Amino acid sequence: MSKPYTLDELLAIAVAREIHDYENVVLGVGVPMTAGALAKALFAPHATLMMESGIVDIRPLLSLNNIADAHSARGFSYATDLFSAFTATYRGFVDVCFLGVAQVDKFGNLNTTVIGDYEKPTMRLPGSGGAADFISYAKRTVLTMRGGTFVNKLDYFTSPGYLEGGDSRDRTGLFPQGSGPSALISTKGVFRFDPATKEMYLAEIFPAVDIESIKKDIPWELKVASDLSVTRRPSDEEIDFIRNFAPELSAGRELTGELRAARLREKAEQRDRKHVS
Amino acid sequence: MEQATGKVMSAREAIEKFVHDGDEVVIGNYTVGSCAELVYEIIRQGKKGFTLYSQSGIFDVEVLVAGGCVNRLVSTYVMRSGGKKGGSAVERALNAGTLEIEDYTNFEYNARLVAGMHGFTFMPVLEGVRVTDIFRKRGFMGENKFQIISCPYTRREIVTVPAATPDVCVIHVQRADVDGNAQYWGAMGSVAAAALASKRIIVSCEEIVEHDIIQSSPHLTIIPAYRVNAVVEAPWGAHPTEVLGYYNVDTFMYNGLFSAAAATADGLAAWMDEWVYSCPDRAAYIDHYIQRFGVETLNELRARPFYSAPANYGAAFTSHWDRDGRERSMGVTLPQLEQLLKERGKVYE
Repeated sequence: MSKPYTLDELLAIAVAREIHDYENVVLGVGVPMTAGALAKALFAPHATLMMESGIVDIRPLLSLNNIADAHSARGFSYATDLFSAFTATYRGFVDVCFLGVAQVDKFGNLNTTVIGDYEKPTMRLPGSGGAADFISYAKRTVLTMRGGTFVNKLDYFTSPGYLEGGDSRDRTGLFPQGSGPSALISTKGVFRFDPATKEMYLAEIFPAVDIESIKKDIPWELKVASDLSVTRRPSDEEIDFIRNFAPELSAGRELTGELRAARLREKAEQRDRKHVS
Repeated sequence: MEQATGKVMSAREAIEKFVHDGDEVVIGNYTVGSCAELVYEIIRQGKKGFTLYSQSGIFDVEVLVAGGCVNRLVSTYVMRSGGKKGGSAVERALNAGTLEIEDYTNFEYNARLVAGMHGFTFMPVLEGVRVTDIFRKRGFMGENKFQIISCPYTRREIVTVPAATPDVCVIHVQRADVDGNAQYWGAMGSVAAAALASKRIIVSCEEIVEHDIIQSSPHLTIIPAYRVNAVVEAPWGAHPTEVLGYYNVDTFMYNGLFSAAAATADGLAAWMDEWVYSCPDRAAYIDHYIQRFGVETLNELRARPFYSAPANYGAAFTSHWDRDGRERSMGVTLPQLEQLLKERGKVYE
């Protein structure tokens, strides 16, 4: 039995397993970045990790703060610009990209722009960034979900998955044939898309998660693979890599926030004491 | 420092001179190393009525919106402090009806600037966007957010965006010379396009360097001097964000103080009182930071060296005349050449 792990760690490890050696990989910040670093370090040494900021072929030494962070590596191979990073994607040079999810429907269409009304938002989310263009033209897209929701209808259609399902995406003639989301990975399991209907189904379930806790998050009748498997437990090597590389991912958002705030107070208090004495 | 072209000035002078109410303003930096000192000075001067362009809105857009400078925002990405629970200045301004927003994708936003940079009136973008609300929902750009044309060669339908040519770009770079040759390296993003698309350019930099340094590394220059209106030397000018080769992001200030504050209107107002309005310039800001958190907190952020391998810009020779004073290909000295010209009647008294 390997050492105990958190669900965020298992998520990152499951995401890493979607990267194959020699692939060109576009990473987003957060979980995908850590997953990319893990894949490159442990089993995909020839993968080319790149970001839309124009950083190409980076071997990150510690977790990145954002998609333009060149501080977390000792250099990189190719400094192109954002325009060219996307035209390279358009021309078919990106094998896989990773996108975070705020709202997702059963065909893998995404909303990362707004909850509620567009002009008077209940919650204004970041927006598209590179998402809509990457999911359009990368050969495949892996969706990662830490806090998002499954919905029947998106509040705003930011990024195209399989549209209305079936062959509707390919039929538009706007996208490379066969492109689109290949998996959605949450903190509970791995979902894939039916080759014919393009509807999302549960393919793998994380150890110690029960199907009912997954179904209760999903407003449609979730289909489950007849050969549903249980995700392999992470190895000690994988867990150790993540804890060293991205301790804040292991700690989780809440604990990271608490500890950072406490450290800040401590620094200010030390300073005040120095001033008094 | 020598002030040959008169472009070297303080942030106060530069913003007074080149940023006007009602301008289209573009933040040149993309996600890292944002031009904090120039942005804070804009807010301190109470400039207003902007249409603001930002490739990726981070703290810079938040404080400009909270500072009442912005009526319209063209962007692809905005910051949301504190995740689900927290809010943002952009969200609050949208709900108050004081801000309008136009959403593009990263590529489309950048394509507008690339068109502007090259003097074209539009740029093709990636057609997949047609099925999305980014294409369908039109804000203040209306029908000119996107237009569809027919490719004259393939007859396929092409989605286009109009050129953007902002009135002024504010941008922070690693180094520049007194004339304004601006050098930037790291994540190139849309930084050069944002500057070069604009009518006026204000460059702040970590340090002003000798012209020789620029000449030995021209591949690092992203804005040529002849396009630059003002050069502001502002060490720590991007703090709390990062500048490659100078300092890392300050997570205490950014993820700690700023993000916690920006989740509410009152919190952000108090933060801006302390860090924007009460600090007349970057030096005062840094002094205040040191007084609050100690110089060692700042020093921990300083970059250690990892130098680029030098590229050899050298050549075999720098004169047509060899060591013996003979022209390299003709084999004569200058007096001999002059004698020959005279003998053949080619020179006039």
